[in-house]
Order: sequence, then C-alpha cells, then structure tokens
Amino acid sequence: MYEKSVVADDLHVALGGEPVLQGFSLSTSPGEIVAVVGPNGSGKSTLLRCLAGLQPVERGRVTVFGVAPSDDAAFWRDVALLTDEPAWYPGLTSREHLELVEAVHGKPRMTAETALGLFELTGRADAPPQNLSTGQRQRLSLAAAFLRPSRLLLLDEPERGLDTSFRVRLAELVAAYAAEGGTVVMATHDPALADCARQVSPAGQATP
Amino acid sequence: MNPPPSPTPASVRQFLRRRRGPAGALDRYVTGFGLALIAVIAGQPVSSLIASMAGQVTPARMSAGLALVVLAFAGFVAAARAAGPVALPASDASWLLLSPLARRGVLGRTTRLLAVTAVVAGALLGLGLLAAMGAPDGLLWRLVAALVLGVSATAGAMALAVLEQASRLWDGWLGIALTGLVTLAVVLSAAEVAAETARPALTGTGLATETGFLSQSGLTSGGALTSGGALTSGGALTSGGALTSGGALTSGGALTSGGGGLVSGSEAASGTVAGVVPAVHHAVLGAVGAVAAAPPAAVAVVAASAALLVRQAWTAIGRMPARAVLAASTRTAHVTRAAVLLDPGVLTWIAEDNHWRAGRLRSRRWPSLPAPAALAWHDWRRLARRPGRLAAMAASAALPAVLARALGITAPGTTATSIATGITVTGPGVTPDMSALGATPDMSALGMTPDMSVLGVTPDMIGLAGSAPVAAVAAPSLTAVAVTAGAVLAGAMAVAAAVATGARRDADNPALSRLTAVGLRPTLAARAVLPALLAAAWTAAALTGLTLVGALPSGAWWAFGPAIAPAVAAGALRMARRRPVDHSMPVIDTPGGAIPTGPLLWALTGADVALAGCLPALVALLAPPDDLAGPLALQAVASAAALAA
Repeated sequence: MYEKSVVADDLHVALGGEPVLQGFSLSTSPGEIVAVVGPNGSGKSTLLRCLAGLQPVERGRVTVFGVAPSDDAAFWRDVALLTDEPAWYPGLTSREHLELVEAVHGKPRMTAETALGLFELTGRADAPPQNLSTGQRQRLSLAAAFLRPSRLLLLDEPERGLDTSFRVRLAELVAAYAAEGGTVVMATHDPALADCARQVSPAGQATP
Repeated sequence: MNPPPSPTPASVRQFLRRRRGPAGALDRYVTGFGLALIAVIAGQPVSSLIASMAGQVTPARMSAGLALVVLAFAGFVAAARAAGPVALPASDASWLLLSPLARRGVLGRTTRLLAVTAVVAGALLGLGLLAAMGAPDGLLWRLVAALVLGVSATAGAMALAVLEQASRLWDGWLGIALTGLVTLAVVLSAAEVAAETARPALTGTGLATETGFLSQSGLTSGGALTSGGALTSGGALTSGGALTSGGALTSGGALTSGGGGLVSGSEAASGTVAGVVPAVHHAVLGAVGAVAAAPPAAVAVVAASAALLVRQAWTAIGRMPARAVLAASTRTAHVTRAAVLLDPGVLTWIAEDNHWRAGRLRSRRWPSLPAPAALAWHDWRRLARRPGRLAAMAASAALPAVLARALGITAPGTTATSIATGITVTGPGVTPDMSALGATPDMSALGMTPDMSVLGVTPDMIGLAGSAPVAAVAAPSLTAVAVTAGAVLAGAMAVAAAVATGARRDADNPALSRLTAVGLRPTLAARAVLPALLAAAWTAAALTGLTLVGALPSGAWWAFGPAIAPAVAAGALRMARRRPVDHSMPVIDTPGGAIPTGPLLWALTGADVALAGCLPALVALLAPPDDLAGPLALQAVASAAALAA
C-alpha cells in the first residue's frame, strides 16, 4: 500500500507558449477527495491531464502510486479519467455501453444494472446515448467511470449538466468511493461539491 | 471457481460485434461485389496503362515525370503526418484507449489500415515511377521493380510517420524527408528547365538563323527562360542586335536591356549560373539513372531500409502514447464527420481551425478603411499571417510547366527543333557563330557532357531526336493539352479560393456580417480584390512557365493572367458562398451509372462561372492563335461579364 496516491511537485506547464501551471504542488493520500478549483483558464484540466500522463510537464515531477504516469495497461487499471463527453458507439444502448466497460475491465466495482440504478438511468437503459438529455449522458459517463475498477478517479467538472438533486447524489457517490480507499481528484465549479473536499487552486495554490 | 479470463482487445471487439450485430451475408456480398466491380472496371485501364509504358522516354520528359512522382510522394508523406497517422475512431478512443487493454491490440485495426493504405499508395507510386522512367525492355521486371520501390517508399514513410508520432527521438525526421523530397522535385523540374534552356545556346541548333537574331524556335525551345520573360515578346531582341541577344542567352534576362556592353561582364557569371544548375540536374538524373540501371541492388537497398523502419514502427505501436493517439483521433473524428455529412467544405474549416488553434497571434491595429474594404481586410491579414502558404502558392505556379513537360507537350510548329536541341547534346555541335553570341564551346565546363549513358539514354535514343518520337511529341494529344490548360485554370481557382475564406465564413455564419451592416454586393466586391490579384499573378507566372518550356508559342500569354482574374475571382466567391451539399436532390440514372445531382451541383457551383468566364482563354490555350490580341480582348470582356454577374 502506497502512503501517497498522487504526488505532484513543482509542476510547470505551458500551452501554446502561455504558462498554465507554475510551480504547482499537490500530494494526496488514499481515501482523500481533492477539489481543484479556480477560474476558467487557471489550469485545472491541464493538471488532471498531467496526473493522467496525457500532458507532458516542462519541469517538475508527477508520481501516481509511487511511479510516473506510464500510460500502460497497469496504469490505466488503477486510474479512471473522465473529462469531456465520450464519443458513443453507434448502435449500442446505454446499458450496453456500461456492459462494454465491464467487458473491458474484467472485474467491475458494480454491475451495469447496479450502475444504471445508482445513476438513475434504469428507465433509459435501452435508449441509445445520443437520445439522452445532456444531463443523462453525463450521468452515463459518470456511471462508466464509477463502474470500472480503479484506485484513482480523475474527474473534470463532473457536475456539468447535472440537476441540483443529482449533484447531491454525486457528492455521496464520490464520498463512498473515497471511503473504499480510492482517491478522487476533481476539477469543479460547484461550491457544494468542492466543500466536501480539500480544495486546491492552480491559480494561487490556495487551500482555504 | 476459475477466475474470469482477462479481457483482451479481441474479446472486446467480439463483444462489440455481437451487440451491434455482425455483418450480414448481404453486407459481405455487397462489399465483395463492390471490390470485384472495382477490379473489373479498373483492370482494363490499368493494364492498358502498363502496356503503354513500354518504350523509351526522353530525358526531359523523364525529369518532369519524376518531379511529379516525387511531389506525389511528398504529398503522401505530408498526408500521413497530418493524419497522425495512428488514430482511432472517436468511440474506440473514448472507451478502449485509456484502459488496461494491450495498446497493440487496440490499435490493431488501425495498423492494418495503415499497411493497406501504404501498399495501395505505393503501387500507384510505382506505376507513376514506371510511367516517368519508361520501360525500353523487360516490362515485367521493371514493373515489379517499380512496384517494390513504390511500396517500399510508402511503407517506409508511413513507418517513419508512426515512429515520429510514437517517440520524440524521431521528431523532425519526417520533416527532413519532406524537405528533401520537395527540394528534389524542385531540382528535377527547375534545373531540368534551366538545363533545357542552356542547350540551345550551346548547340546552336535553334539559334541565329537570320542576321544573328533568335529564331522563333530558339525562343520556344527554352532560350527564353535564361533570357527572362520580358524577352519572349521578341521586341528587346530585335532592337538589341545579335551581340546583345547572345549575351542575353548566356547571362540571364536581367542583363539584356543593357545593350551590347554586357557580354564581357556576363560571360563569367554565365559559366557559374548556367553551369551549376545543369550540373546539379545532371547529377540528380544521373543518380536516378544509376538506380534505374542497377535495379536489383537499388530495389534491395530501398526495400531493406523500409523493412527496417517498418520493424521499428511495429515495435513502437505497442507503446504508442495515448495522448498522441487521442490528438490524432480528434482530427480523424472531425474528418469522419465531414465524410459522414458528405460535405467536403467542412474539411477546410478543420484544417483552418487546427492551424489557428496551434499558433500564437499578436493583435495588430485594424487599418482605417471604408467599411467593405475593412471587412475584406481580414483576408489580407490572414494571408500575411501565413507566409508559408503564399510561398507554396508561388512555387505551385511551376507545376503546369512541369506537367506539360511530363506529358511531352510542346507548342505546334516549333517542337521538332526544340526537342532536337534538347537531346542532341554534343560538343562539336556548337557552331562558329556561337562564339559571337557569347557562348563558349567548352561543354564540360557547363556540365553538359555528352555522356548520356548514365541516364540510361542509349545512342539510338539520340537518334530518335528527329524521327518518330519527335513526331509523336510534336503533335501532343488534345487530351494532354486540355489537362495542362485545366491545370492552369484549376490552379488559379485554387489560389483564389484559398483567399476567399472571409466570404465562406460570412455565408456559413452570417451573424458577423449582419453586425457590420454592410451590403452584400459592396462586401463581395471588396472581397474579390485579393483573389483576383493572386489569381492574376499566379496565372501569369504559370503561363510564363509554359511559354518558357515551349509548351506555348512565344507571345504575351502572361496577359491572360490579369484578363481571366476577375472571372476566376467571381467563381471563387461563388464557390465560397455555395450552400452545403443537398442530398435530397434526385439521382439521375445514366448508362454510365447513377449520378447524384446534389453533390454534382455542389461541385459545379463556382467552377461554372469561372469556366464560362475563362472560355476565350481556354480556347486560346487549346488552339494557340497567331495573334493574341483578339482572344485577350474577348477574355477581358468575358471576365468583366462574369464578375458583373
């Protein structure tokens, strides 16, 4: 068992010549929830991409469970990333998309049926995702991220498109994930969601 | 209880196939039938094409043909690089890439697709190579060698593109390869043209027929290139006298206007400039000739190098970074969307938006201009911010001349002499009066040695100069001439359309133009200026190039550039403002197959106005008249009418 799930030390990242992250540091432990907050363009999504190994850093060091993000099967077995809305397979229903996640990951945290229930999609299980509303599609994306086994959950604005009541449910689901020993790092603009977590800001490294 | 088997890419693909429904027997039949039909339809033309390749090709034509083949290969390399090339369908990228599945398995389909693409493109490239080089003997062997060379080249390039995408260690290699290819194409075409122009001066065949003045054939056979476009009208030559004309030929056009005193000063320069270029050309063609002369060794080396690269790429696929695949997949998703919507117009926006997203801009003050011109200034600024594109446009003006060379087009009435001078490269052929023209008889100093064997040119080929092949070349097929004329018009349209983005954006999304409250016609008039200017300059340059390589008789052909520009600009603006493809239009059944009228009308919109407006120029290009004044005046009227419409 690693003492630290994520360590980011003195990160410097520039996009298109503009500095986005300047000397940002972060350390999380298993079972912890971290909310990355800050105004638009402050580098929240860039930070998540760095932690997932999808964005090279100019300076600094990132380790996830003790090693640098390696972009291999072992890494993605531990790390789940949810950013923009995924592209949906034409011809598959919502349920089948979740079953696909089961097929890809082998030992899911829950069954597709359970996930559909938890994310209030049972009634729309046989609808193609393209026919769902924006909020329902976001719930389906979240269901896929929570269904698959992982030890680190990276969520970029998970509240996007969700109604108020489901945002409360999301906070509970995140807390339950952390209670199982998982680490959650999420970029969010939702004050209620952020209040349930330790807050960090790439803009000023502030932790109120 | 046994643990469930670990998921593999194959098992996941199977899951997807099962859920989405397997391809039915009918689907398979349709695919198989389609492939068989393509084989049947394409088989006959391809076999005829291969059979027609048997025979010798003149060095000039070979050089131009090779330049086009190299350019096509450069295009393939650039396309492979722009595409990724390793990309996934958007849904696979979302659900399978960032997962524990083995990367090589996830990318399996993509790998196979890249391999097929490389093989097909390589086969086409090989056929192009064979067409350019000709096959005087052993057609089958040469065909096999050309195909292996072509496939090796494309497979190697594709592998290099994969390696560049996979690892920073390979960064820049493809760029170097691309630069090398374009340079090779330029050397092959430009140096070939320059060498051609130097030959008449040295051989004297096309020179000094009457009182030391240049004969018509001397001009059209290429003398005009070294002496500059201004001389093609002939006026400067006749007024300058024989000595001046001689100096002009050897020293370059800029010096000719100075009169007789320039010869002594220009002789040294002529030895350098006119000598280096043909020498480079000779070396390049020599290298190509050497490759052609020793096919087994050359083919083996190229194939082995390609195999090595492919092996490296195969290893790299397994550790292809997810971020590289995701970036390429996003681009592919946009392209796929354009393909699904069957709206090629979307593709231009993808390329445009990708470019500006990657760059960094600095705001500059908008100039104080009248409202319509201020709106149109956007196109000018955009062009100024892409100097590379401007340079590419300028360079592409040489393509029609290279194409004319590759197709063996020479102006009627002047061809036999000019071809003969191009091939009969013999030192003793320099006539005594050449010295009076400022040309030295030392051929070797100019790299014009008579050793043609290195090019694979046999003595009997030189003997061909005045016989059958020349006769064949002297009467170029109307199709070849039409292709070249079409290339000029298409190039002018492409250049004009490239700077008509503002009009396209206005048509796609009129919100901004509504905000400006400027009328449509004043806006269009202002937006027509830049396309017209660029089309005029490009066409003038292209036509000058065609005159210089002898594909057009001497005359002020460049004047057709400004003359057709308004019509081309009108066509480009109409093209920019066309609506998306209307797929609800009926499909017309014809004996040649079904024709969907929606895409057809979409494709013709814009081209129709340009074609109608450029008709006098096209007719003149297809059947060059003795006097250009009439067609030029007619063209000006037609252009004005097209723009007014």
